[in-house]
Amino acid sequence: MTIVAGCDVGSLTSKAVIMNGRKIIASNIIKSKPRPKDSAEAVIASALEIAGVAMHEIDHCTGTGYGRDNIPFVDQVVSEISCHGKGARWMMPSAETVVDIGGQDCKAIKIDRRGHIIRFVANDKCASGTGRFLEVMAKVLGVTVDELGRLSSRSRSPVTLASTCTVWAQADVIKFINSGVAIEDIGAGINTAMASRVAILLNSVKPEGDVFMTGGVAKNIGVVSTLEKLIGRKITRARRVDPQAAGALGAALLSMEALNGNERAKK
Amino acid sequence: MKIFHDAATRIQNESIVSWKKQGKKVVGYTCSYVPAELFHAADILPVRLRGIETDGMEIGDAYFGPFICSFPKCILQLAGNGMFSFLDGAIITPGCDSMRRLDECWRKAGEDHKGIVPSYFYYFDVPHKTEPHGMDWFIQEIRNLIESIEQHFDVRITRENLVTSIREFNKGRRLLKKLEDLRSRENIVVSGTDVFAATIAGTAIPREQYTEALGQWVKTLTDKTSTANGKKRLLLIGSISDEIDLFKLIENETNAVVVAENLCFGMRYEKNEIPEDGDPVVSLANHYLGKSVCPRMYGRYKERLAALREKIERAKADGVIMQNIRFCDLHGAENALFEKDLEAEGIPCLRVEREYGPLTETGRMKLRINAFLERIA
Repeated sequence: MTIVAGCDVGSLTSKAVIMNGRKIIASNIIKSKPRPKDSAEAVIASALEIAGVAMHEIDHCTGTGYGRDNIPFVDQVVSEISCHGKGARWMMPSAETVVDIGGQDCKAIKIDRRGHIIRFVANDKCASGTGRFLEVMAKVLGVTVDELGRLSSRSRSPVTLASTCTVWAQADVIKFINSGVAIEDIGAGINTAMASRVAILLNSVKPEGDVFMTGGVAKNIGVVSTLEKLIGRKITRARRVDPQAAGALGAALLSMEALNGNERAKK
Repeated sequence: MKIFHDAATRIQNESIVSWKKQGKKVVGYTCSYVPAELFHAADILPVRLRGIETDGMEIGDAYFGPFICSFPKCILQLAGNGMFSFLDGAIITPGCDSMRRLDECWRKAGEDHKGIVPSYFYYFDVPHKTEPHGMDWFIQEIRNLIESIEQHFDVRITRENLVTSIREFNKGRRLLKKLEDLRSRENIVVSGTDVFAATIAGTAIPREQYTEALGQWVKTLTDKTSTANGKKRLLLIGSISDEIDLFKLIENETNAVVVAENLCFGMRYEKNEIPEDGDPVVSLANHYLGKSVCPRMYGRYKERLAALREKIERAKADGVIMQNIRFCDLHGAENALFEKDLEAEGIPCLRVEREYGPLTETGRMKLRINAFLERIA
């Protein structure tokens, strides 16, 4: 059987997925280290341990993420935009539009039935609308990122954040806390601000068909449900695989394609 | 090539230093609407003002404010730091509103930073339309500029001198046309980076020296053979750019080559010759305003789209990268229209917003270009 791996070194987390044929045999997520090379080696080592295979048994490995050019053990390097498209299509075969919210950027991607990019838009202006935005806000509120996501459902009167600039929004949040506003209303306001930024990107690619969400923020139910309302479409979140590992999964699938392509070429 | 890369990457290049040592004058100008032939005819070196080599923004931001294009801010920053101290004059044009504001911001900064405003500081107005009244106005602007140069620098710009200068510039234009044909070949014989360095150099070194160097280089390229290299062929368009590093990012970091561009400083209508007979001022006006493909001109979108289509077809481009500097309304809006129209015709486009020059976030640019190339693979 063919064993392939995908390694996604992101700005906040590093992910690895190992597949044996079409089956995922290991998936792992760690906090990224200062050097991409160290992150890649650590995450693949732990994934190999989970899978019970040795590095030399990997037939092909694809690197992706912002640290993709500094991963020493990969056979090819592919952008995370392509990898998320590929991973999303594998997780949801009907997906036509993918929204990936990573640690420091956000992308809306239209894909074809093979999971290849048709069109994409990435955030340009600043860090708002990214995982880092939620992380900063959760810290100010004194909750975890997961708890922040659940606050929306308890809110009766969400606040409106005047600005979605991360730094200025942080100042707004502190002001609301000092004014005694309920934490769930502030949390819901943060999730709405985040969803509004992402909706701009999604609308600019004109979402079609089934919309699938990848990246760590897909785990934030508050952002996802608000985003659904804003774009008027249902958004499906990954269940079979952690949505944060979608890029690494797509990378592994591209490795499989590379091997199959080589096999076909030999014949 | 060395002379082109030196001129493209340094504000005060070797040729300017040599020119000044001869006791001759240098005048800087901001936009492609200024007929450089006027200065050539007066034996003054015209040099296009640029923002490269900027390493801070404390002066530029102080007078312009943060919400404006970073290109004119970089020029002001450099002026404030004394990087343009070799200039005997400066011409400011309303290429766009940000560039127009350089006139007042530079003058205001000059009140606080003594000696940064050249003794000759001239505002050269440019109409937004080419209808007869607009063209008449532009012709008068050129005549006014000639008179002003003659008075300030105590020179005479005669008809004969102007025709001689047009003739000299036309030699370069014909060479640029050859260069454009060479880079359109199926097999790549020249990088976009080198071509861009050569076109920038045309705005930064004495014309005779430029024509000679360009002629020699084009000859070596003509004799060069190359095989297919599998690289994706890209057309680069959008906001003003004089950044070699942007081309290097595309050509050195990805598997692509820039086979054509539509950039101020790049190859746009520079290869079009100017008639050497008739009234030279009228001929210059017809070229510099009438042939402009800049989005600041009203009512000419269809012509600009047609020019892009022609470039895509001739250069056999696989895709178009459309970049705009943050807060550049002209190219931001135009790129969105181009993207809509070209994608509808099946031409893949990538639209990116960025900062100018050394302020560009290369990691994010590279990710987008990589993903775009994967899309068109």
